Amino acid sequence: MPHAPAKRQKREEYKNSLHTNEQNAALPKKKFYRQRAHANPFSDHSLTYPKSPADMDWATLYPAYASRKKEQAPNEGLQILNDNDEEEQRNAIAISKDVKIADIGCGFGGLLFAMAPKFPDTLILGMEIRTSVTEYVQEKIRALRVQNASTNGYQNVSCIRANTMKFLPNFFQKAQLAKIFLCFPDPHFKQRKHKARIVSYTLNSEYAYVLRPGGVVYTITDVRDLHEWMKEHFEKHPSFERVENEFEDGEGEDGTGMDECVKIMRTETEEGKKVERNKGMKFVACFRRVEDPAWP
Amino acid sequence: MIFPYQCLVARTDSDDSNKWTVFGASGSKLVAQSSTGATSVWPQQDEQQQQIVSAEHGEPPGKRIKLSPAPTERGPNFSSIILSSNGEYLIGVTGEDKCIRVFQVDKEGQFQQLSERCMSRKPSSITLTSDDFTILCADKFGDVYALPLIPSPNDEPAENPVVTEQPVDKDFTPSATVLTVHSGRNRRTLEEQLKQKAKGPLKTKEAMTFKHDLLLGHVSMLTDLAYAKKGNRSYIITADRDEHIRISRGVPQAHIIEGFCLGHEEFISRLCLTPLKLLVSGGGDACLYVWDWQNYRLVERLPLRDTALQHRKARSDLSPSLPDNDQGFKVAVSGIWNIPGLDALTNAVLVACEGLPALFEFEIGSNAKSATTISLNGNALDVAFIKGSDNSCSIVVSIDNIHKAGSTTLVRKDKIAARLQYFSKQTDGQWQEDEIVGKVFVGFAGQGSLMDDEATNGDTPIGNGADQASSEKKSARDILYSVENLRKRPGAEE
Ligand SMILES: C[S@@+](CC[C@H](N)C(=O)[O-])C[C@H]1O[C@@H](n2cnc3c(N)ncnc32)[C@H](O)[C@@H]1O
Repeated sequence: MPHAPAKRQKREEYKNSLHTNEQNAALPKKKFYRQRAHANPFSDHSLTYPKSPADMDWATLYPAYASRKKEQAPNEGLQILNDNDEEEQRNAIAISKDVKIADIGCGFGGLLFAMAPKFPDTLILGMEIRTSVTEYVQEKIRALRVQNASTNGYQNVSCIRANTMKFLPNFFQKAQLAKIFLCFPDPHFKQRKHKARIVSYTLNSEYAYVLRPGGVVYTITDVRDLHEWMKEHFEKHPSFERVENEFEDGEGEDGTGMDECVKIMRTETEEGKKVERNKGMKFVACFRRVEDPAWP
Repeated sequence: MIFPYQCLVARTDSDDSNKWTVFGASGSKLVAQSSTGATSVWPQQDEQQQQIVSAEHGEPPGKRIKLSPAPTERGPNFSSIILSSNGEYLIGVTGEDKCIRVFQVDKEGQFQQLSERCMSRKPSSITLTSDDFTILCADKFGDVYALPLIPSPNDEPAENPVVTEQPVDKDFTPSATVLTVHSGRNRRTLEEQLKQKAKGPLKTKEAMTFKHDLLLGHVSMLTDLAYAKKGNRSYIITADRDEHIRISRGVPQAHIIEGFCLGHEEFISRLCLTPLKLLVSGGGDACLYVWDWQNYRLVERLPLRDTALQHRKARSDLSPSLPDNDQGFKVAVSGIWNIPGLDALTNAVLVACEGLPALFEFEIGSNAKSATTISLNGNALDVAFIKGSDNSCSIVVSIDNIHKAGSTTLVRKDKIAARLQYFSKQTDGQWQEDEIVGKVFVGFAGQGSLMDDEATNGDTPIGNGADQASSEKKSARDILYSVENLRKRPGAEE
């Protein structure tokens, strides 16, 4: 690839130019952030993740909700605490609200940007394994926060790079989340790659762990097999039940009674829009976290 | 020479607490030694070898043994052995064929193999439920399966609440079309899948045809698991390479995660439950972690690395000598064992690290930060505890007789290095080498898998050449030392 260095350089220059002015309100250009479609969820990416949810620096991601000012300017991104002054640092990163909505594999963040104004009092987090795609979403959030400074818009949305298939419990406490979105996940057609799918019987136990009883996992895909797969694996998991028809489809032509988030998910994700343009099918399935049964 | 005992485990006779049996796995062989002096071996030896052993009567076998079978003829090597709580069954896992074998062992320690079940993924750790009915098997793929200890003829073969690998359906039509599949890569995979369909279903040589239930799974390599019962509640505790300790409910609610014990910063390799309801975990970190695991709370950290480094520095007999810079000194925990026989209020564990000729004893839950060290003649491989009826405690330690003390690569020059050492705990708490215990083990000490002597000649680091001898060295190293390999290498990127 003889053009690669030139391309990389352009990207670097572009990204640096964005950072020269924190008040820059221009939205980032997607073309500088495209990245190969698949990342291997099993490999040891040089990921940064907190040792445990208590070590997570949420205040940097949602500065408007930080409950105590930081003494020092934080470094970029997440920080893993060292042992010294653990208590002090934990205080420094305290935040007045917990994240309640997670968009897993958020891609370029279409769902996040549509949800943020609809749930202004709820913290929403996008989680994405691809570095450059994550950077795009972070850059766009920064720009939108600048544009909407007068109304404090988009302060409730953020995005981090994470491999959720391995590290979800590092970020969220038990029963912390109210909604999890799995929109147009990578299908992983190959037989031997099925464990790479973001939905499986065993992984669903982790979604159940971070969701509060009554919370909902939202799924949507354009691939019927994957839809069937996700249905099968959630339906046989005793911690989940499928929601009512109305929740997913609404009633009548105008879909009255359809869940607000299902509407957004059908129309606002990048993939959803692509499928719309191609006049493809969209399959929706949502699952409610049930209470755990009694334990002897 | 004889391959070291890579695994050891001991039982006390249920009728007579003065009687015990120690079991060891040496390469592909199982050996039992009972306190009465009887030894038995699985698989049964051929006559020639038996003669030699009886002629030598347990003398450390020297050069005379030239009947070494070629390494390729040797069966699969054991990676772990455990005993049922009643001591009646021994379960062995072999690495190369991913098999779980169940043996019935009579009072004299004679083995009778009852079953052989090959898993589709390599088991990394097994344990039994407290009622001895069910084997829990954690594998390198991240899953935990339940298998009945004794398969019943009434079991539905391969009854499984969950289809892990969807059977390839002959009439399977990928419902995605070129229209609905958006990325180019997905489209290519889809095309491949259609081609595969034309060729017929994939060979499912991995199918397990016996009863096995998928209980839970991590998207990470599982390294150890433990089973606990508290009152009516049972728990499955699993540890992975990505620093997680997960606490799940026991069967039939193993899909419910109760919590995590988080705090490790490197891989976890070993878990050990203490009688005082604490959990000790260790791996690639500098410390052992002690958990009040039912509340997911860290109780204390014990300075393993510093203790090991101190010992390493004090040992002038070891080569290569330590680099001047201690910063690079790391430990990889290969064993944590409860020390039985202490009073009810104190718990202590013994700890072994890969490639270190020592064992470290730490008191648990008492905030005592110093350790007692047992210095060994070679790298510690495994430990078996013999508990006397008078609350005395002796240990049998298996020693790596192939590699130099302190190294996992350099080969020893002394060909007759002892494969076992014996210690007894004194009333002052110190461990003293115990010749009397050792005398009982003469038969045991002379048994095991034979190795090609060529393999252990020369000073070259193991695994450098392509010849057979060096490939046997390499495989010996792989059998004995796999923990440090769990460490993530910086820069190993996408
Ligand atoms: C097909 S895209 C869908 C993006 C977005 N949800 C949408 O609907 O437009 C799937 C995304 O999941 C991300 N992904 C895959 N595995 C992941 C993992 N283990 N953790 C986080 N993100 C992951 C991929 O990088 C990709 O961006």
